[in-house]
Amino acid sequence: MSPAAHPAPRSLAEALRARDDVSLAALLRSRPDLITPVPTDLTQLATRAGTRASVLRALERLDRFALQTAEALAVAPDPAPYDTLLALMAGDARDETVAAALPHALGTLREQALVWGDDERLRLVRTARELLAPSPQHPSPTGLGPSVQEATSGMSPGRIQDIVATAGLPSTHDSVSAVAALTALFEDRKKMGDLLAEAPEAAREVLARLVWGPPYGQVTPDPAAHLRWLLDRGLLLPTAPGTVVLPREVALHLREGRAHRVPEPLPPAVEPAATHGAQVVDATAAGQAYTALATVEELMKDWDEGGPAVLRAGGLSVRDLKRTAVALDVSEPVAAFWVELAYAAGLIASDGEADERYAATPAYDEWLERPAAERWSQLAEAWLTATRTPGLVGGRDAKDRTLAALGPGLDRSAAPEVRHRVLTLLAGLPVGAAPDTESVLARLRWERPLRGPQQRNGDEDLRSRLARWTLSEAEQLGITGRGALSAHARALLGAPAAGAGSRTGSGTPGTSAAPGTSAPPGTSAPAAAGSTRVLAPAGPAEGTGPGDKLPVHHHHRPGGPALTPLSPAEQAVATAAAARLLAPLLPEPLDHVLLQADLTAVAPGPLRRPLADVLDVLADVESKGGATVYRFTPASVRRALDAGRSAADLHAFLVEHSRTPVPQPLAYLIDDVARKHGHLRVGAASAYVRCDDDTLLNEILADKRAAALRLRRLAPTVLAAPCDPATLLEGLRAMGYAPAAESAEGDVLIARAHAHRTPPRTAPEPVPDGPPPPDATLLTAAIRAIRAGDLAATTPRRTAGDGAAVPGGELPRTSSAETLATVQAAVLTGESLWIGYVNAEGTASQRVIAPVKVEGGFVTAYDHTADEVRTYPLHRITGVAELAEG
Amino acid sequence: MSCLIVQSDKTLLLEVDHERADDCRRAIAPFAELERAPEHIHTYRVTPLGLWNARAAGHDAEQVVDALVQYSRYPVPHALLVDIAETMDRYGRLTLSKHPAHGLVLTTTDRPVLEEVLKSKRIAPLVGARIDPDSVVVHPSERGQIKQVLLKLGWPAEDLAGYVDGEAHPIELLEDGWALRPYQKQAVENFWHGGSGVVVLPCGAGKTLVGAGSMAQAKSTTLILVTNTVSARQWKHELVKRTSLTEDEIGEYSGTKKEIRPVTIATYQVLTTKRKGIYPHLELFDSRDWGLIVYDEVHLLPAPVFKFTADLQARRRLGLTATLVREDGRESDVFSLIGPKRFDAPWKEIEAQGYIAPADCVEVRVNLTDTERLAYATAETEEKYRFCATTDTKRKVTEAIVRRFAGQQILVIGQYIDQLDELGEHLNAPVIKGETSNAQREKLFDAFREGEISVLVVSKVANFSIDLPEATVAVQVSGTFGSRQEEAQRLGRVLRPKADGHQAHFYSVVARDTIDQDFAAHRQRFLAEQGYSYRIVDADEILAEDSTG
Repeated sequence: MSPAAHPAPRSLAEALRARDDVSLAALLRSRPDLITPVPTDLTQLATRAGTRASVLRALERLDRFALQTAEALAVAPDPAPYDTLLALMAGDARDETVAAALPHALGTLREQALVWGDDERLRLVRTARELLAPSPQHPSPTGLGPSVQEATSGMSPGRIQDIVATAGLPSTHDSVSAVAALTALFEDRKKMGDLLAEAPEAAREVLARLVWGPPYGQVTPDPAAHLRWLLDRGLLLPTAPGTVVLPREVALHLREGRAHRVPEPLPPAVEPAATHGAQVVDATAAGQAYTALATVEELMKDWDEGGPAVLRAGGLSVRDLKRTAVALDVSEPVAAFWVELAYAAGLIASDGEADERYAATPAYDEWLERPAAERWSQLAEAWLTATRTPGLVGGRDAKDRTLAALGPGLDRSAAPEVRHRVLTLLAGLPVGAAPDTESVLARLRWERPLRGPQQRNGDEDLRSRLARWTLSEAEQLGITGRGALSAHARALLGAPAAGAGSRTGSGTPGTSAAPGTSAPPGTSAPAAAGSTRVLAPAGPAEGTGPGDKLPVHHHHRPGGPALTPLSPAEQAVATAAAARLLAPLLPEPLDHVLLQADLTAVAPGPLRRPLADVLDVLADVESKGGATVYRFTPASVRRALDAGRSAADLHAFLVEHSRTPVPQPLAYLIDDVARKHGHLRVGAASAYVRCDDDTLLNEILADKRAAALRLRRLAPTVLAAPCDPATLLEGLRAMGYAPAAESAEGDVLIARAHAHRTPPRTAPEPVPDGPPPPDATLLTAAIRAIRAGDLAATTPRRTAGDGAAVPGGELPRTSSAETLATVQAAVLTGESLWIGYVNAEGTASQRVIAPVKVEGGFVTAYDHTADEVRTYPLHRITGVAELAEG
Repeated sequence: MSCLIVQSDKTLLLEVDHERADDCRRAIAPFAELERAPEHIHTYRVTPLGLWNARAAGHDAEQVVDALVQYSRYPVPHALLVDIAETMDRYGRLTLSKHPAHGLVLTTTDRPVLEEVLKSKRIAPLVGARIDPDSVVVHPSERGQIKQVLLKLGWPAEDLAGYVDGEAHPIELLEDGWALRPYQKQAVENFWHGGSGVVVLPCGAGKTLVGAGSMAQAKSTTLILVTNTVSARQWKHELVKRTSLTEDEIGEYSGTKKEIRPVTIATYQVLTTKRKGIYPHLELFDSRDWGLIVYDEVHLLPAPVFKFTADLQARRRLGLTATLVREDGRESDVFSLIGPKRFDAPWKEIEAQGYIAPADCVEVRVNLTDTERLAYATAETEEKYRFCATTDTKRKVTEAIVRRFAGQQILVIGQYIDQLDELGEHLNAPVIKGETSNAQREKLFDAFREGEISVLVVSKVANFSIDLPEATVAVQVSGTFGSRQEEAQRLGRVLRPKADGHQAHFYSVVARDTIDQDFAAHRQRFLAEQGYSYRIVDADEILAEDSTG
């Protein structure tokens, strides 16, 4: 036991009180929910740290080994000495790796205030114990059942004595000591071995089946001999009729003391699947980065003149997504990624008009003006920190609604953390190494194991899916090239690009992870803890040796900066660094194309923007990639002419930007289209004047009075006017001409004074001064209702009990038993009853009913008041009274 | 800066003026199909068929990826490389081979693939008993069929079942005063090494000699399938002249003659003649133990011939063509039934070596007269082409062109007999059309060859395989709508090397602003993509020159 100078803490609050500030800070950093709002004192902090929600949250963030340690503590006696815990974790065989890793895991648990007390008296906080201890409803991941003591708690003392006797122990005078003796026997490896040696073969098979859980089994009321043998010795204990359980102590004996079948003290290493040259990786990633920019620009261009409509529920319709995918020449999931990326980067948004559509934001125009590398880093940063997860698009939410791109329900708060973690793991590999996806997933699952049955219908858990998406999206975006993290992406994560090679070369994954205990909020501290151990196998030097009585804290940071999510300011610096690294790798925009006689133009690289813009109008894009192939067609040339360019402009443009002579067929094509362009003219006119005598039309045009009519000559014999035909007729008549109106077919229209008419209207409804006289049916119904109501209100009635009539106007009140009896009697006699009734809105009323049947808490009765058969819940009937005789 | 750009749609752009362009072309040619070869940038396309062709020729994915990575100017998208590796990996998972006990068997190196294909309804009737988990018996008669189906399923089988030697027959090349050109030798070698397959050479590049060379390699009885009788005669003529074969050893199997000799030349037409629901001439395939079957103009191979070919998989097959483009899109049948591409050479390259004449291609745009325009606008859709293609103005322009090249050998080619008759009358030139007898045709061709007549008007019967060595000018007045291969064939008429090194001229007379123009654009696209640029001139220019000159 502890020396007197350090009295052992008696509660979590006391244990916290004994911790220093740094250690408390570490606790609060790893469990930020404890300080929202800030607790008033440590007792309150301890209380809050013990609440179910908070403990659950903390447990969910433990790595697999720390969780396994906590699970082992949950099945150990409370409090448990360190050695007991060690025995549970390392087993009788004393697995050295486990033994070496255990102090650290325990340190993590202590730091998170999940475990308190010194090494002699380790206590798991009660809530955690409840959450992790096995119970029939929630089997423990350890697969262990209840202890002998728990399993025998309801058993008769006689039965216990029988078991003790059969097990070969001396009988005791009370059940408690008998259970203790039995437990002691089960925990004694040697005696237990002797006992089991006598067991029939079939019995040992039964035990072997139950040993790793689930520990429960079914037995018939008359068990077979080998089961009886086990039951008689308490090696199986009955829990419920027909169910037996393997007591924890027995299971632990059979497991050689281990609480877990497979303790996983070390994080699985991320295996490289392939290694490429650093230059290849960076170049590929840069190429992809450029493609990413081009794709986003193309998307925006596609949506430039009015993007797709916003669905009423929000988001992009499946059809629009398909169309966009075709326009971008990618698959739909990939299209969803680009759309979501542009959205996350603030480049597109809903325009908020009544007829809501997606459109580019002003930020897009600013983005467009920036250098390519900066444009990329802005996208990459947005991707890194976004909680939007495009991978979900096309899936269904909990209510089985399709998740639309840009729609609601796509935010997953774990996304940024998983992205960062995956990239950090990648950064831990040697430069140029592409990881094996499964090993990345395995590592993530170790760092954040899932508790409980979360894997339903074979679906992968969310974190694994996020990780997969992260890997594929990183490749799309040019964060990785050929699967390996690029130098510019390292910079984006805040990892030093130059030093990374030497340090990671020495095979220390997670080099830059901060020691677990000082991980800032949001990081997976357990992960960091795991990596630290791998980083420094000399654990004790880091202060994680066994026997540490207090939580372990490291106050120094390792030489390199931590690969933890950066603060906005740090991120800005990192983003700029990434852009600087990327810039020289991106292709330099060109200012020329190669024109060919097959009416194509090839831009052997990205083009300067004004050039690209003009070419986009003048020609159709045929193939994209590093280069762009344009094809000139009559339609594309016409498009350019429509855009206001002249043939001469186009020739000049081509001569200027072509590195090769303009081929004759292309020049001919432009001239040919230009020759026809504008040959037909279309305009709007409201009325015309037609006359075979063009001198007369000359005369009209020359007349000053015609100026107001704004006549225009279309042909020698036709004038057009923007005013309506009637005005034109009036005007010409006023000028002294005698024009005739013409119908659409060209006939002369005989014009009569045109009567003015409204559009179709209905005649006004008459407004009577009272309601219309009721008809016979209505009257009959009304009278019956009134009479019935009257009957209900005025009938003299007597109560079942004392026979005294309830004063009129008040609801009858009877006890529910009385109500039931009266109603049942009325069913038999066929009498009518007067009841008080409160409807679902709470309105009380009284009714006269003739009950037909009473069943399941409902009375079915003929309601005189409503004149129909109705059903009343008995509990709404406040009381009943029989109607007075007569 | 390197010379190759890999596009996201799996096309490869090769800058031909680049110093490394030749090396690069050699590196990518095995797996990428040359799609367009205009003057500056050639476009190659990587297709599954191309990749499998490469596998068949013994290249592996690593070489392909290496070639791309080595020559690419920009980083190659990782996804593309993965896709290439995966596609190439599909070839050869299944192999057809001879089993000593079970005959023809389909074997796999990857059991799930075999399971997958055996599940297909179309495979089930073609295979027999399962010998062991990795192999299954294939009915010998279904060798071609199964290859076709497997290709459609995306698991092309490698055919290692070998060939029967066929009946031996001595054939030698008589290289007196001439020799096979280097590329022809290469083509023969590649073909022979590969067993069966297709040799792609431009018109006029001497495909017949590749056939003769292959026969001299095979030294066995040979069945040659050609498009028509004229072509059959030319093959015979050429074989007698270039090989040790004598006139008597070569039989013609056509509508008029039914000779079966050690070397037999049959027309597609006679083979595909159907009487009472059966093909009576099919027995030709079994009439001798052929050691080699040559398919001339593979791109025209009629569908029934594919069906017969499926049954001939044990014999060596040589396909000859100027283009693998088929208007009916059955390139994959050519691949699975005749064989992968064994050799090709771009048109321009052979021209550069001086084996085919350089050509000046001109499109002459004529205007319809006002009445014609009205008639054209109101014509029924199916009549429209005929209306615009036979406009009067074309006649005037054609006359002007013929006058300009007076003294040279000129061909006028068209689609519509009325138009040709009228032209023949105005140009005072004989007309060869469907009804012209073969004897008459040969006579006229001979006269043209000898220079006795200098202008010949031909209908589309002369599209294929006729050999008119001295034609230097071709004028096309109308065609089979937008047929690209017809255009190639017609251009081929003037591309044979000229004795005097004259430049060849190819005129296409097209009515402006009509579907004739659209069709012409479609037809020319193939040639433009082969590097033949068309100049476009207005009819008025030609007519003006004509009146002044």
